[in-house]
Amino acid sequence: MSSISEDRVLSASAITVVALVVLVPPAWALWSAWPGSGSNAAWRIAGQVSGVAGLSWLLLALVLSVRVPGWDMPFGGLLRLWRIHHWLGAASFVALLLHPLLASLARAADGPAAVLATLTPPPGYWPVWVGWAALLVMMAFMAPTFSFFGRPEYQRWKWLHRLSGLAAALGLLHAWPLTAALPTPAAFWWWAGLGALATAAMGWRIALSRWLGRRAYVITEVTPLAPRVVELTLAGPPLEHHPGQFVYLTPFDSLLDAGRGEEHPYTLSSAPGEPHLRIAIKDLGDASRALLDVTPGSRAAVEGPYGRFLPTASRDPALWIGGGIGMTPFVSAARALDAAGGAVDTHLIYCANDPSRAYFLAELEAIVRRVDGLVLHAHFFAEEGPLTAAFLAHRVPDLDQRRVLVCGPQPLIDLSRALARDAGVPTSRFLSEEFDLL
Amino acid sequence: MKRFMFFCVSAFWGAVLSIWAFAVLAGNEAPSDAAAADRMVTPDELAGHASADDCWMAIDGVVYDFTHYVPLHPTPPVVMTPWCGKEASEAYHTKGYGRPHSPAADAMLPGFRVGNLAGDAR
Repeated sequence: MSSISEDRVLSASAITVVALVVLVPPAWALWSAWPGSGSNAAWRIAGQVSGVAGLSWLLLALVLSVRVPGWDMPFGGLLRLWRIHHWLGAASFVALLLHPLLASLARAADGPAAVLATLTPPPGYWPVWVGWAALLVMMAFMAPTFSFFGRPEYQRWKWLHRLSGLAAALGLLHAWPLTAALPTPAAFWWWAGLGALATAAMGWRIALSRWLGRRAYVITEVTPLAPRVVELTLAGPPLEHHPGQFVYLTPFDSLLDAGRGEEHPYTLSSAPGEPHLRIAIKDLGDASRALLDVTPGSRAAVEGPYGRFLPTASRDPALWIGGGIGMTPFVSAARALDAAGGAVDTHLIYCANDPSRAYFLAELEAIVRRVDGLVLHAHFFAEEGPLTAAFLAHRVPDLDQRRVLVCGPQPLIDLSRALARDAGVPTSRFLSEEFDLL
Repeated sequence: MKRFMFFCVSAFWGAVLSIWAFAVLAGNEAPSDAAAADRMVTPDELAGHASADDCWMAIDGVVYDFTHYVPLHPTPPVVMTPWCGKEASEAYHTKGYGRPHSPAADAMLPGFRVGNLAGDAR
């Protein structure tokens, strides 16, 4: 996640507010006086379009936020689906901020009283006030998503994000009487259809997925890999998955310091077909820190699998770059290759701060000795600094012929993207897994 | 993206504040003619203003002169002109299909006021 200076944001915002306060009234006056502006048709249409588009995008974003194992695959995995959700939500927010302004300014030629009455009508005119309520609720749940007041805590962000359902319901209540005024039943069916889809999505998310989407497991082993990193082994029903996919894990250990009953996404480190699931966990927050000491024998729920990071059946020439806990999908893939046999043409660069943090290195070294065509390179930041073009050119001379897949911290992804681009790898052959959902 | 969204929300409240400030400074109420408030318009006089070029209507006991507004109304003039010279409360409150006019329209009415309809108890 890119961090921005709050001071700069505040000062720039203050300038924007002042500029608007100064500029809007003259612009308004100019518009009112403009010949032929009497009907305000363009503004009225823009106001209606922004409202209909904004609410439609919000409802679609809600539908896309539903997690059903397998449904994310056509979209290129859950993370890509959520990027679409994120952009739709942002576009919806901008459109719905514009909507009341455009709708009220459309009355500019009718005088200031008409404009203000459109924006803030008498209390009895409830559809507009319900619209205001929807917009305020939207601001409440969007503020943490866009870190208006600093980076939010994950569970609080998630809880606030549930208000999106309330905002959508209020938005529909606002739109129903107002767009029903259109001389066509299309508006009715449009809102009814989108509303039903969104309700079904929310119903699945809040109620049904808990019973139908989750499966019961027991954490049988907690294997320390390095300080602050463990690998959990879970016994339970077999889970069909591909290497590199992730699951939502909900631990129920009553002795946990944090995160009991909370679901968090973790990448599977086990190969498909293993008798037990394995999940590598690094201390990256309260919940994952508590999981380092989870009690063997305690219960947990698993939902998934999700994601489509690694091509499922491809043995085309590839370069995998993993950093820290970002090695997990490649560990799963290497274990799968080890189990399946056969030849590949894959280079794997293991980026770690120093040998003590390369906790999967010994196992991977053993695997590459057994898998034909899998080549392992270790790169230690403390000794060699960041990954360089020279390092890549020396270890992977045919880099431009390969598909490049990167998983790790954002700086490593950004650096790898730049190095791959400079080496002639087309953007379409560069894939990265960014686990920062906020 | 985060910065852009913060700008949007700030700009939104800035614009709302501007609209409110401008409306308050410009005077929230349309200028009302004290004489018009007391003037009584008979149904016959009302009926004498029954064309698009001279259009009065009575709404809830108050008579308005919409002559200059007819071409500005969002609908084509043919929707409004049949009510010129007539008592048009029902048309105003239902727009012909059961939906009332907006608060913005309500706020504009005083600007067109001519007087009260004689013989109307409201």
